[in-house]
Amino acid sequence: MIETHHLSKVYSRGLYALRDLTLAIDKAEFVFLTGPSGAGKSTFLRLLLLQERPSEGEVFVNGQNLATLNRREIQEYRRGIGFIFQDFKLIPSRTVLENISFVPEVLGVPAAQQRRRAFQVLKWVGLQHRMNAYPDDLSGGEQQRIAIARALVNDPVLVIADEPTGNLDPDLSLEIMNLLREINAGGTTVLVATHDRELIRLVGRRTITLDQGKIVEVA
Amino acid sequence: MRSFEYAFRQGGASLWRSRGSSAFAVLAIALALIVLGALLIVTWNAERLIARWTAAAEFSVYLRDDATSEQRGAIEMAIDQSGVAAGREFVSKAEALTRFRREFAELAELTSGFDENPFPASIEVRIRPGAGHDNAEDVVKRLVAMPGVADARYDRDWLARVGAGLGTVRAAGLALALLMAVAAAVTVATVVRLGLRARRDELEIMELVGAPLVFIRGPFVAEGFLQGGIGALLAIGSLWVGFLVAMAWWGPDLNSLLDGQSVQFLPIRLCFYLILGGMVVGSAGGLVAARDAL
Repeated sequence: MIETHHLSKVYSRGLYALRDLTLAIDKAEFVFLTGPSGAGKSTFLRLLLLQERPSEGEVFVNGQNLATLNRREIQEYRRGIGFIFQDFKLIPSRTVLENISFVPEVLGVPAAQQRRRAFQVLKWVGLQHRMNAYPDDLSGGEQQRIAIARALVNDPVLVIADEPTGNLDPDLSLEIMNLLREINAGGTTVLVATHDRELIRLVGRRTITLDQGKIVEVA
Repeated sequence: MRSFEYAFRQGGASLWRSRGSSAFAVLAIALALIVLGALLIVTWNAERLIARWTAAAEFSVYLRDDATSEQRGAIEMAIDQSGVAAGREFVSKAEALTRFRREFAELAELTSGFDENPFPASIEVRIRPGAGHDNAEDVVKRLVAMPGVADARYDRDWLARVGAGLGTVRAAGLALALLMAVAAAVTVATVVRLGLRARRDELEIMELVGAPLVFIRGPFVAEGFLQGGIGALLAIGSLWVGFLVAMAWWGPDLNSLLDGQSVQFLPIRLCFYLILGGMVVGSAGGLVAARDAL
């Protein structure tokens, strides 16, 4: 599903965020990316989302070389990816259901289909009773479940989560991880960046450890 | 079509959310269009007057006091055969004096001290519509050279000068309106950019889910378009009220300035162009701001 060859990202003054990274993640695999702050986890995810371009090396996702994609192809590529962030990135002025249906809405899906699909995923995360609430009225765990529902609404082949439990207590973190495991059980590749070693131990999946931009351990 | 509907729904919502700051952009556009619209009202009415004067253009051929009837006959024949005359009228010396005393009654006593009538006889020629300025001028030049002719006066030259002056006024006004339109577009861009900053998270999500560019930038262009349209309607409404007030206060004076014609408001076609202009200016401002969205 994801392959990188000698991938490097250099910022100004020759600072390497990633250095000569070569890895492979299979289809329908659940992988943790871990390491201390500044190890390069978020940079790697930004490269996968094409928010940044590599300085050296190549990234292939689903057989596509990301370096060759033009603007339209990037849009098409991103439609197959679901993303989850530590700070949820929900739109405060929209209700829960609108936050989720926002994704199909801006992709031009007809209104009835938007709402039906949004309600399905909302039900799946168990928050259908909060569909008319606003994000500020929800707890952190509920907000993250909404963010997960939003990531799933477009039936992605790959879900990328950047510290999805960073703002949550251990019980809620495990709850979120269980949801991600369920997504993975349906055949979706899941890549989670986290520095929470305890959570990784509890979930027990393949873990790639980065330090100073290099892979130091694969377990 | 869905993107169009989305752009206008979001653009309208954003306009309503930021109605305080949007009012500045709408006012800026309205001011630019009021200047342009007022100028158009003045030049439109002046052009009607000039067109009327042009249609009624004539020249006068003044005869020498010693011109013979044969010479006068030859002059009249030359006028009839010139192809530029729609009609002609002979004004005798006595008629010229009577006309002067009638039209300039306060100066009438000036004519009483002369032993002889000082006014020359003349032939007044009405120019055929579409005869052409150059043709008429050529005929006048030929007539001046004929025996028995003292002088000839063709009133088209000053009409051309008035027309040129009007063109200069129009160009200066257009330049001013253009400058104001650019300032209005910059104001629109600034206001739309404020809304863009407030929706930074929303735009980031749109970008990450692969939303088409038209969904991302469209609402900002639509917002500018709506601001421009509202500004233009406000401008036309203000101009109309201003026109009614001006006509109520100075209507008869303005009408007499226009040689008895009634002063008219802008025709529908020009109003439509003004609205379109406002929308274009607004959209341009929105588009400039939208480029920051991605």
